[in-house]
Amino acid sequence: METALAVEDLTVTVARPSGRFRAVDGISFEVAKGRALGLVGESGSGKSLTLRAIMSLLPAAARMDAGVVRLKGTELPHAVRDVRKALRGRMAMIFQDPLSALDPLQPVGAQIAEVPRRVLGLSKRRSWERAIELLRLVGIPDPARRARAYPHQLSGGMRQRVVIAIALAAEPSVLLCDEPTTALDVTVQAQVLELLEDLRARLELAIVFVSHDLAVVRQLCEDVCVMYTGRIVETGPTPEVLAHPLHPYTLGLLDAIVDLDHPVAAPEPIPGALPDLEQIPGGCSFHPRCFLATEECATAVPPLAEIVNAPPSHRSACIHSDRLRAG
Amino acid sequence: MNAEPHAARPVGPDVLEIENVTVTFHTHGGRLVAVDSVSLSLSEGETLGLVGESGCGKTTLARCVTGLIPPDRGLIRLDGTELSRRRTKRDHRAVQMVFQDPYSSLNPRLTVRSVLTELLSVHGLARGRDAESRCRELMALVGLRPNALDGHPVAFSGGQRQRLAIARALAVEPRVLIVDEPTSSLDVSVQATILALFDDLRSRLGISILMISHNLAAVRFLCDRIAVMYLGQVVELGSRTEVFTDPRHPYTEALLAAAPRIRPAGGETVRLRGEPPSPTDRPSGCAFHPRCPRAEEVCAVDPPALAPARGTAALAACHFRDEQRYVDRSR
Repeated sequence: METALAVEDLTVTVARPSGRFRAVDGISFEVAKGRALGLVGESGSGKSLTLRAIMSLLPAAARMDAGVVRLKGTELPHAVRDVRKALRGRMAMIFQDPLSALDPLQPVGAQIAEVPRRVLGLSKRRSWERAIELLRLVGIPDPARRARAYPHQLSGGMRQRVVIAIALAAEPSVLLCDEPTTALDVTVQAQVLELLEDLRARLELAIVFVSHDLAVVRQLCEDVCVMYTGRIVETGPTPEVLAHPLHPYTLGLLDAIVDLDHPVAAPEPIPGALPDLEQIPGGCSFHPRCFLATEECATAVPPLAEIVNAPPSHRSACIHSDRLRAG
Repeated sequence: MNAEPHAARPVGPDVLEIENVTVTFHTHGGRLVAVDSVSLSLSEGETLGLVGESGCGKTTLARCVTGLIPPDRGLIRLDGTELSRRRTKRDHRAVQMVFQDPYSSLNPRLTVRSVLTELLSVHGLARGRDAESRCRELMALVGLRPNALDGHPVAFSGGQRQRLAIARALAVEPRVLIVDEPTSSLDVSVQATILALFDDLRSRLGISILMISHNLAAVRFLCDRIAVMYLGQVVELGSRTEVFTDPRHPYTEALLAAAPRIRPAGGETVRLRGEPPSPTDRPSGCAFHPRCPRAEEVCAVDPPALAPARGTAALAACHFRDEQRYVDRSR
């Protein structure tokens, strides 16, 4: 399978009054053409910073300190301006809140048409036609009329579709999504997920999908990375990870969710709280909250490794994974 | 269906009765009926869930019950006595609300102790040493340490702030607690602790709770009865088991089918087309008919009433409420 996006050893630090702290700590992953990878974690796990670092959209306090990002095998340059230029037409990103991503003073069609005109160098007329085609592609009924609408005249789901249309306008091969359905109602969320699924298959897009919701990730992503305090603690095919979690944190997350279809079991909270960036525990950062923790866990960071008796694609950063595997 | 937790809760007398409540707003787009002749009741110790998409009027209804918005028509009774448009201090004490966002519903300049003691003194409940011991009691009740009383809201995490907001609401010993999306701004592992807290509070205090949420799993876990709202009206009302295993309104079915699940579901699910229309531009007949997979001609003309359906104790506002279509996946 052709690798569309590869991230190696990505490290992001954030400046705080008391110093710089690692928010993303040397993570690596790959996404193949036409596949979707989910990055799951709670707030502060570094999932959004990871996307922003790839896209070179880090906030002022954050900095990418190490790591390589490859698009179809070519390494991206390091200077921000060069990255943006290199990404144009190859990688795009969509965000949680579609309203803040759109210009309130311009019709949505014009906002979409700007991309093919500037990036692909199409004529004004041809770009407008392309905008209408894109609106049709993302499932907006009556696209020629809707192209003239302003963002406030559209519903939340329609706006997210417009944002997706803008992202796809320069025909990228990689689409980064940062919680794109979190602000939407469940019924609309289901429609947007279906749209992403369909676009991925039709355009052979590689998708990286950041979410706090394991159930949403299960719907769209073949593979998943579970993140905790800036590290990937478990990765593998989504159904495999959800059915046989090999990291106690993943298990904890699954037990904390109330299952709509099995509401009898009370949700089981993970003891303790997410540590602050400035106070990430040494060794395995999850050990103070972990029911399997031993002294060893506090001394060294466990590598993300293959586990005996588990498929090689399913890896976990826990020295006690075999005990979870045993059940 | 398995015996779900708290299914066999004894049903007491009605604490809260909402009768034909209508709330309208006047906007640039015209008259907007946010809540349209809604009647609901909440009995002693019961937890009622209010679900629906954004804009269905669930929060407006809750604000109306709390007294933050006066209804245009209809009445609200508390323990059998009608609440007047101008609420007394006692009325306010009896109905307390926990807001969606714990970050904006706590005064950032006051310590937790001053927030609570002020409240206790305004309502004449406790002063001085009594107030202090009541504050400590409240912290214990919501699972916080007594030294939390010395902190300002900024010093707390999202989950802890939600606990503080709950303590604030419980300080005045309300009859009814209204909770608006209690977990939506929280992380998954924290959501579980707040749900467990509510579960604990209602069994320990026997308080009646009206819970608004779009998290169907949380509603199914906590609520005894569920009301489903669409465009300002209640379209289905029944016990947890009825609504979740044998829904009779196609909208309820669609909501259940659309909820993302950790475990893959067998079979194809019905996808709802489109989004809720604007309440200023209400479709004729059954307001749901333009999106409904089951709609027939009659639906565009004749608005169905919320009425009992055959073979279930639930009420549904659908012309085809007697048909059983939903395949329950919890079996």
